[in-house]
Amino acid sequence: MVFSSLTFLYYFLPVVLIVYIFLPNRITVPLGSDRHLVIPARNLLILLSGFFFYAWGEPFYVILMLFSTLIDYTAGRFMAKYDDSPAKRRLCLIVSVCMNVGLLAVFKYSDFIIDTVNGIFRSDITNPVILANRSINDVYNFGLSESRVALPIGISFYTFQSMSYTIDLYLRNIKVQKSFIGFTSYVTLFPQIVAGPIVRYEDVAAELDERTVNINKISEGICFFVKGLAKKVLLANNIGIIWTQIKAMDYREISAATAWIGILAFTFQIYFDFSGYSDMAVGLGKMLGFNFPKNFDHPYLSRSVSEFWRRWHITLGTWFREYVYIPLGGNRKGHGKTIRNLLIVWGLTGLWHGASWNFILWGLYFGVLIVIERLGWGNVLKKLPSVVSGLYTFLIVVFGWVLFDTNTLSDAGQFFKAMFGGNGLGDSTAAYYMASNIVIFLLCIFASTDLFGKLTAAFKKKKGKLYAGVTPAVTAAVLLLCTSYLVDATYNPFLYFRF
Amino acid sequence: MKKLKLNISSLINCVVFFALLITLPVVTALLPKKERSEMENKPLQKMPSISAKTVFNRKYMNDLETYISDHFVGRTSWIKSKTVLETSLGKRERNGIYILKNRLVEHIAEPDYDSIDKSVNAVNKFASENDVPMFFMIVPTSAEIYADELSKNAPNPNQRDVINYVYRSFGKGITTLDVYPVMESNKYQYIYYRTDHHWTTRGAYLAYAAAGKKMGYTPLPEDKYDIEHASDEFQGTFYSKALYDKVEKDTLDIWHPTAGENVREVAVTTMYGEEPQLYDSMYFRDYLSVKDKYAAFLGTNAPMVTIKSDNEGGKLLVIKDSYAHCYAPFLTEHYSEITLIDLRYIQISYKQLLNPEDYDQVLFLYNASSFISDTDLRKLAYD
Repeated sequence: MVFSSLTFLYYFLPVVLIVYIFLPNRITVPLGSDRHLVIPARNLLILLSGFFFYAWGEPFYVILMLFSTLIDYTAGRFMAKYDDSPAKRRLCLIVSVCMNVGLLAVFKYSDFIIDTVNGIFRSDITNPVILANRSINDVYNFGLSESRVALPIGISFYTFQSMSYTIDLYLRNIKVQKSFIGFTSYVTLFPQIVAGPIVRYEDVAAELDERTVNINKISEGICFFVKGLAKKVLLANNIGIIWTQIKAMDYREISAATAWIGILAFTFQIYFDFSGYSDMAVGLGKMLGFNFPKNFDHPYLSRSVSEFWRRWHITLGTWFREYVYIPLGGNRKGHGKTIRNLLIVWGLTGLWHGASWNFILWGLYFGVLIVIERLGWGNVLKKLPSVVSGLYTFLIVVFGWVLFDTNTLSDAGQFFKAMFGGNGLGDSTAAYYMASNIVIFLLCIFASTDLFGKLTAAFKKKKGKLYAGVTPAVTAAVLLLCTSYLVDATYNPFLYFRF
Repeated sequence: MKKLKLNISSLINCVVFFALLITLPVVTALLPKKERSEMENKPLQKMPSISAKTVFNRKYMNDLETYISDHFVGRTSWIKSKTVLETSLGKRERNGIYILKNRLVEHIAEPDYDSIDKSVNAVNKFASENDVPMFFMIVPTSAEIYADELSKNAPNPNQRDVINYVYRSFGKGITTLDVYPVMESNKYQYIYYRTDHHWTTRGAYLAYAAAGKKMGYTPLPEDKYDIEHASDEFQGTFYSKALYDKVEKDTLDIWHPTAGENVREVAVTTMYGEEPQLYDSMYFRDYLSVKDKYAAFLGTNAPMVTIKSDNEGGKLLVIKDSYAHCYAPFLTEHYSEITLIDLRYIQISYKQLLNPEDYDQVLFLYNASSFISDTDLRKLAYD
């Protein structure tokens, strides 16, 4: 299920929220004499609703998520049990990490690996997952994919989340979660299960046991949610149509202006799509009493590539920093090691986004640029006027999106050629796209700066009462507007479902 | 005191949010469910049935989501308000339809000349195998005739080029009927519907009159017709796609010869191999009271329709799209029998259906848009 659907918004969400609000955190059932049964009612609801939410989109491979949860929970319990045996603790960690990485390897990268092997050795190996799917279909006719492995929704997110638990437990940063319902509700927490933010266990450990839900928090959550919904439905979907059309054109024929309009449209689409999703997740989290970490901070205002990655998909960057970069030694072991570590992290970041050379190259592209910034270029950028360094960073990112969203490296090459005028500078197609979409482009530019936030903050400060009165009206207006776009949804994808 | 105020605002915010989230689905549940959307001209999703198979292959979820969206309270009003908003923001295209000043026209895809060549070759083959005089008419659509009203640079293939290309590619046995000039020079008359993809009866009449010389009949002059305004409430296929209300509704006219109609029998074959259904008129008036009013001309598309009249004259075979439906009535004045076949609905070789050489003339009648996207003419090359 996706947040930006009528099914979620008008059926799933009101039912779950209303039951949730009226449930206490725990229900104590007396069992006669002195014994009680304590049911963690809200966590149980989160678990059940999250399972339903996930299975709605992934009815068969929901078993992978349950499997991963079970292993990580058990690994955690054993780690706590053998607290004084470093070897046993390490074994638990290895089992957990291997299992999670193994799931990713099989369900995300196996096609890519097998294609590469087949390409090099001219062999004809069939993916075992496909063979398994075929035999399941033979018996049950579930319609599982028989040609390519279909990525189970959110697998890149939930495996990383549940690894954060076992790793932090091993590093003794957190305490063990003894309740199976408690741990499972962390993994299946529906606001963040399919597309992040990648909430580390540490971030919500306390709230899993004890949290409060009140009107102020719910109202704050509603504001976040509605803002995210608007970003997704009104901005990302509308500007995304332009890129879908231009992306489908023949790159050997499109003019420079058309290519730029196309890739700028994607630049805005992916930002509003993903940050909109994160805002919705943060908002839903607040309604349920959780505080999720921030995932985006106006990344297109960054003045260096390093800064961009501190403001874009922040939770993924944090994850790689905490669990890969720092354990590898970070920047404490001299220049050579630092550069190596940076390139490993960025290669992995690219690979995390998908199994293709485009993504790996895209990650390394940023890795190399960040290394260059470390070697002194960063200091030069700091001294340049912010317009120059800002524009530099923005262009780097836009070129990155070409690598990211064209299908093959040769497509990317042809697209770059078009962007630099290889097929002429402008034509009537570009003029038409610009003229008919100018309003949406201006809205996107405005919304990706921090102007809107600053204006509302100033408004709140100066006219507090008016602000308080306007908020519900804005909520209603945006919700109604988004509903009319959802009823007529001809184009409503979620980009980060692919990852 | 100040803190309390903020709480009241939060409370109102929550109440508004939840009120909407609860009211809309509850009202949806209470309203009766329709089977079809007349306005959008499409059938609506039925409540899906649940089984292990449909759950695991996700069909149940997909169908249920479509069901929810199809029956959502005030569905067409939501869509219309979106259209109004978008057009006020400068968007001039919706769901493949361009919105002009007082007219909707189709955004036609760029022609694929490989596909067009296949159609042309099949027609040439057909003409060489059957020794009957053949005529070909491709009618430009409103997107071409009113192209000057489109926003600058809007993608819109040049139909003149397509028609010229096709006409040049035909072999000797085919006489081309170029109605482009007559449509172009009468563009300020009411020759195309504003909300539908067809030409009006007047548009068809002009083409009929222009084609007379080559096909060998003297057209009946306009003053020999009584024009009946059969409906002035027509909102056609373009309207259904764009759901844009600000374009005036269309008037649908039926032209009756003053001297009276000579049509004896209209035989509609809905399934080949079965007996045709017989009617005594070319006008199916029941359709005037439903959404798809153009079907008042010879009904909805059928594989084969035969019109017999009491007139002297030869037999004509028409291979056509729906533009022929309001055109054929004019021809009944000059032929004793007209057979219309629609290749889109015929899956067998035409040879199993009829012998073209039983006819005195063959007319191909297509509008440029359906000709460009056509993949059925090539069936004529099948044995």
